[in-house]
Amino acid sequence: MRARVLLAVARTTFREFWRSPEAVFWTYGFPVLMAVVLGFSFQPGELPKVPVAVVAGGDAVALLTTLGQEPRLAVQLLSPADADQALARGRVALLVRLDGASPVLRTDPTRPEAEVARLLVERRLLAGPETTLPTMRNEVEDRPGARYIDFLIPGLIGLNLLGAGMWGVGFNLVQMRTQHLLRRLAVTPMRHREFLAGYLLGRMVLVVPEAVTIVLFGHLVWDVPFRGSLLATALLVAVGAFAFAGLGCLLATRARTIEGIAGLMNLFQLPMWLLGGVFFDVERLTGVVRWAAEAMPLTHINRALRDVMLAPGTLLDVTVPLLGLLGFALACFWLALRWFRWQ
Amino acid sequence: MKATAADAAIDLRGLRKTYRKGKQTTVAVDGLDLVVPRGEVFGLLGPNGAGKTTTIEVCEGLTVPDAGSVRILGREWRTGHDDAIRSRIGVCLQETKFHEKATVRETLELFAAFFPSGRAVDAVLDVVSLREKAHARQSTLSGGQRQRLAVATALLGDPDLLFLDEPTTGLDPQSRRQLWDVVRSFKAAGGTAVLTTHAMDEAQQLCDRVAIIDRGKVIALGSPTDLIRSLGAEHLVEIDGEHFAERIAAAELTALPDVVAHELSPARVVLTVRSVHTALPAVLALARQRQVEIHGLATRHATLEDVFVHLTGRHLREDSKS
Ligand SMILES: Nc1ncnc2c1ncn2[C@@H]1O[C@H](COP(=O)(O)OP(=O)(O)OP(=O)(O)O)[C@@H](O)[C@H]1O
Ligand SMILES: [Mg+2]
Repeated sequence: MRARVLLAVARTTFREFWRSPEAVFWTYGFPVLMAVVLGFSFQPGELPKVPVAVVAGGDAVALLTTLGQEPRLAVQLLSPADADQALARGRVALLVRLDGASPVLRTDPTRPEAEVARLLVERRLLAGPETTLPTMRNEVEDRPGARYIDFLIPGLIGLNLLGAGMWGVGFNLVQMRTQHLLRRLAVTPMRHREFLAGYLLGRMVLVVPEAVTIVLFGHLVWDVPFRGSLLATALLVAVGAFAFAGLGCLLATRARTIEGIAGLMNLFQLPMWLLGGVFFDVERLTGVVRWAAEAMPLTHINRALRDVMLAPGTLLDVTVPLLGLLGFALACFWLALRWFRWQ
Repeated sequence: MKATAADAAIDLRGLRKTYRKGKQTTVAVDGLDLVVPRGEVFGLLGPNGAGKTTTIEVCEGLTVPDAGSVRILGREWRTGHDDAIRSRIGVCLQETKFHEKATVRETLELFAAFFPSGRAVDAVLDVVSLREKAHARQSTLSGGQRQRLAVATALLGDPDLLFLDEPTTGLDPQSRRQLWDVVRSFKAAGGTAVLTTHAMDEAQQLCDRVAIIDRGKVIALGSPTDLIRSLGAEHLVEIDGEHFAERIAAAELTALPDVVAHELSPARVVLTVRSVHTALPAVLALARQRQVEIHGLATRHATLEDVFVHLTGRHLREDSKS
């Protein structure tokens, strides 16, 4: 490994990125944009009302009045056909219809709001129309460090590392292959590992400032706290970047076309977006899906980042995920070097 | 000069390469032998798809042949000497896109870093006359300037052996001549160069020897002068007109003094002749006697193109069938 070659490749790679305004925007701008949109749409505030529908027929109007007394419910009266459609589209969480005198509750239990609706409706129906239920004081968790935005910011860092590894490393390598640049480089006395290492360095130096941007933005706009070890966070970001860069390289070893690599990347990226613990905690998943989520590097990066930044944690708390990710990264590179195709 | 394997820059024996795509197989190189001694400028000539690029890329170690032996500067690929060979050769591929956002100088600096020793970036910039464009990004260069940059990257490592795959395609006449000078001074400094080209004048002016390749085989080998001399005649007489084929028989043309070969079509006669001043009056007399109308007449020296036509009955390039 000659440092001169490594640095020359890294410098060229970095310049190529830095001189593309679009690439810089999508790397720096996009995560911040996402934080803004999600941060403002999930502001802590009043408890939201749960929409339910009473199906017209029989004494439906009386039922409507009873349920209308529950402040947490948004009740409407719908014809049977409209009601079915509203439930199917998810516009209401529950349908109540009268079967003679007894009410029947209809929900789709796979929808998260169904159970809340059922509990609220049951409670009101058991109490009857006249009774006032004892009210309890509600507190909304809006302390910094416990809100959704606090949960989201570490996830966005993880997501960004994923994007940098996939698009920055994988996609670009394939592009260089299709332009015959890789084979031109391959007929020089530069060694393969020097090239790949320099290339990664050039692509990855930016992930740390990127992570800093996201953290700073969250802090300035929403007061998202940063409580844990700075060193541990920096190491997590670096090792996480390395892991996704390795995955990007591995996916790019064989792909000959832009379409080929785009497909492969989607295959890996999409499940991680959905299940990698960016938008909700993976502990909520069960069964096979949970296993799948636990197999994803993004899940471990996100969890470790949250453990450090919010819990707060130290380097010791995240040594296991750090070593695991490092192992994953090294395995990816080792395979990538063996399989890499220069033309 | 008869070269032996030991001192040759390139020594190819029984080279064979077949490409398979599904059911379709293409024999790109079909049992090719070639020895290029050191210090020579060697040209590979042939029509599109003849196998020139494949041959050159086998020499560069980019393509693995199906059969045959390859020795480059006395060493074989994939025997542990790859980096040693690579640091002694310079390569200009038929097509390469360099980093779009990098400037000419930055691209050269990148390549310079790969070689343990080599020429200075500035010196190479001057050689290919890109000094004024040193700070221009790749994406703003013209086709010819890109081509010159590609040649410059090949020169950076101060190679012993230079491979140039169609280096002058797309260059203006002045840049072409400049590139010829680059190759000549490379040779004067003791280098060996192998280049492919479709331009006959280029091969004739620049190459010490050429191999004419067709369908993956060498069909003629020698210095341009020798190859042209092998036609047995060095001049061509081209006559355009009407009704040639109807009124003149092929045998009558051959019977004319000093005519060695001919091509006869309704509107055109091309004669390969030993001496213009005896053959020309004879053919004109014949034309007058048969009342063939003549619209145009030209005489020229024979070229490598004529050698190719003579050997294969086809033209090297479709567009050279004038
Ligand atoms: N990667 C490949 N896959 C399949 N067939 C190929 C490949 N490369 C070359 N060929 C085929 O091999 C034959 C020789 O190609 P080659 O590129 O060596 O020709 P060439 O003499 O360089 O032609 P040109 O003057 O057009 O550059 C052609 O028929 C071509 O279609
Ligand atoms: Mg070619």
